[in-house]
Amino acid sequence: MIWLIIKEAWLSLSSHKLRSFLTTLGIIIGVSAVVMMVAAGQTVSLVINNSFASMGGNLLMIHPSFVVTSGIKSGQRPSITAADVEATKTLRGVEAAAPIVRATAQGVYGANNWAVSIRGTTPDLITVNKWEIERGEPFTEKDVKSASPYVLIGSTTANELFGFADPVGQTIRIKNVPFKVVGLLASKGQDLMGNDQDDVILMPYTTVRQRIQGSRIPDRVHFGYIKVADDEDLEAAANRVKMLLRSRHNIKEGHDDDFEVMNMTAMVNTIKTVGLVLSILLAAIASISLIVGSIGIMNMMLVSVTERTREIGIRKALGAENRWIMLQFLTESIMISFMGSILGLFIGITTSQIVGYIMEYKVPISIWPIILSFSVAVIVGVLSGIIPAYKAMKLDPIEALRYQ
Amino acid sequence: MGNVIDISRLYKSYFMDGGLEQKVLKDVNFSVQKGEFVAIMGPSGSGKSTLMNILGCLDRPTEGSYVLDGKEVSGLNDNQLAAVRNSKIGFVFQNFNLLMRRSIADNVSLPLIYAGKNDAYRRERAMVYIRKMNLDGYEDRMPNQLSGGMQQRVAIARALVNEPQIIFADEPTGNLDSKTSDEIMTLFTELNKDGKTIVLVTHEPDVAMYADRLIRISDGQKEYDGSVRAYMERTS
Ligand SMILES: Nc1ncnc2c1ncn2[C@@H]1O[C@H](COP(=O)(O)OP(=O)(O)O)[C@@H](O)[C@H]1O
Ligand SMILES: [Mg+2]
Repeated sequence: MIWLIIKEAWLSLSSHKLRSFLTTLGIIIGVSAVVMMVAAGQTVSLVINNSFASMGGNLLMIHPSFVVTSGIKSGQRPSITAADVEATKTLRGVEAAAPIVRATAQGVYGANNWAVSIRGTTPDLITVNKWEIERGEPFTEKDVKSASPYVLIGSTTANELFGFADPVGQTIRIKNVPFKVVGLLASKGQDLMGNDQDDVILMPYTTVRQRIQGSRIPDRVHFGYIKVADDEDLEAAANRVKMLLRSRHNIKEGHDDDFEVMNMTAMVNTIKTVGLVLSILLAAIASISLIVGSIGIMNMMLVSVTERTREIGIRKALGAENRWIMLQFLTESIMISFMGSILGLFIGITTSQIVGYIMEYKVPISIWPIILSFSVAVIVGVLSGIIPAYKAMKLDPIEALRYQ
Repeated sequence: MGNVIDISRLYKSYFMDGGLEQKVLKDVNFSVQKGEFVAIMGPSGSGKSTLMNILGCLDRPTEGSYVLDGKEVSGLNDNQLAAVRNSKIGFVFQNFNLLMRRSIADNVSLPLIYAGKNDAYRRERAMVYIRKMNLDGYEDRMPNQLSGGMQQRVAIARALVNEPQIIFADEPTGNLDSKTSDEIMTLFTELNKDGKTIVLVTHEPDVAMYADRLIRISDGQKEYDGSVRAYMERTS
């Protein structure tokens, strides 16, 4: 019996091919939009979470404040020193702190050349930024004191310079100075901005200042990371850091700071919330197209009932009970929404995978949007079919037979 | 008794928008025995179609009793009436009322869907009546590929397919030329000889002549009930 109803519905729909197709298209667009938007939202959340995890939690960052001349940020006072960063470790709740000096220079190994981005720091950075060492050893506090030419190499930089060869124990030249690779960092992937975190070389900041930059003020750093214990209040810790730096920099009451303390964790949480709100918003907008699609079904079914008034009359005269008429029209609308959602799912998943592939993001395929789309399809089919089907069922057979 | 139809004190009124009552059938009484061939005649607007709709269980009387095949049907609900139409009644309409987007075989077997019969059985029964109506080879055609007379034969095959007791036909030749009308009426005569009870409405005396008994309706009331021949001789 169920097959017969499905066959009848199929025959009716295929006798108006274009109209049925256009109505199905509404559902295809709706479902694929929802699938794509959910995939986009999930991808954004995934990227945010990954980069948050790779940055490390409960993190503060200190950097020199900007010099503002006539409303424009025109530079930074070189105010932060490695000693400042080191001093924060005496504060309550601070577990680790690492200064950062940035530099870019040409790295050479044999015939290979690569513009390496260098971070000068202390061994603390490994804890603070959750780096893992795949092979080899980190450099030590002693190496920092003596400005030893020891480096840790990120996987991308290692690939560019060494190919498939093992970099650990090898020597690379930067600005004609030889550096020994003491360890290979485990891969972290992209950060929030899509930058490759593995294209990096870590070495003691003293080494960068003295051997690469040849600086006269070896203690100056660009910024510092401070890792606060997970059970400490991050805002309170930020305040303590601020008080300490003000006193170290001899800043009097009423004068502005010459540095800034940024709460990285709060920032990431804000980004996370924005990401979540964004993906909900996208899904909501996509759902509107699904609603429009279902209105399309209802519209088509209402037209269909009116057009087929006589057919309904004939079927009733020949003995069709009310449930038959009802089922016939409901089946047609469910069939449209069902086919539309299968095609919509297929198109939505394929498109988001292709876009993800092109943009080099891993786009997750999760089961719940699939289940959700199917349930929504059946519900949409029933809801948009129920009024027309009821209308058909209620037709008086005599009136219906007389309909021209 | 051998009565297939028994109506007594039958009234039908339509109520206008203002609550005004229009009495279309007034105290109609008659019986039809199994195997009879009855023609119903009367001027336009006299209530013939209204009567046929009630006899065909498409409508309910306002008042009175209608016993069909030994069972009172005037108080049945929509679904019960549908079941009665499906099993006991075959309809033939003036405008054929075929499903235009379905094949001849699908059209003929339609009542069997609502009788809950399976695919193979429906196809087989449909073919029996398609052959009986001399429509062999047309089973997969669409109705609009057939002439009016052939379409009416499809409708008759459809009316017969669930083997009902009675065939109701409201002006079955109204849309056909006189030669085709004769063909169709000859078919009805043969069906009647095979034992089917037939009740048809017509306004053409030529068509009524095929029947044995004539019921004339005028202004919602039975005016004549007797032999067709006697009536024709009296009026000519
Ligand atoms: N659904 C209806 N509502 C109101 N009046 C109707 C309806 N159907 C028929 N009538 C009226 O009942 C009368 C008889 O109609 P009908 O049975 O169709 O006559 P006939 O078939 O003999 O020409 C007519 O006056 C017609 O206008
Ligand atoms: Mg009439």
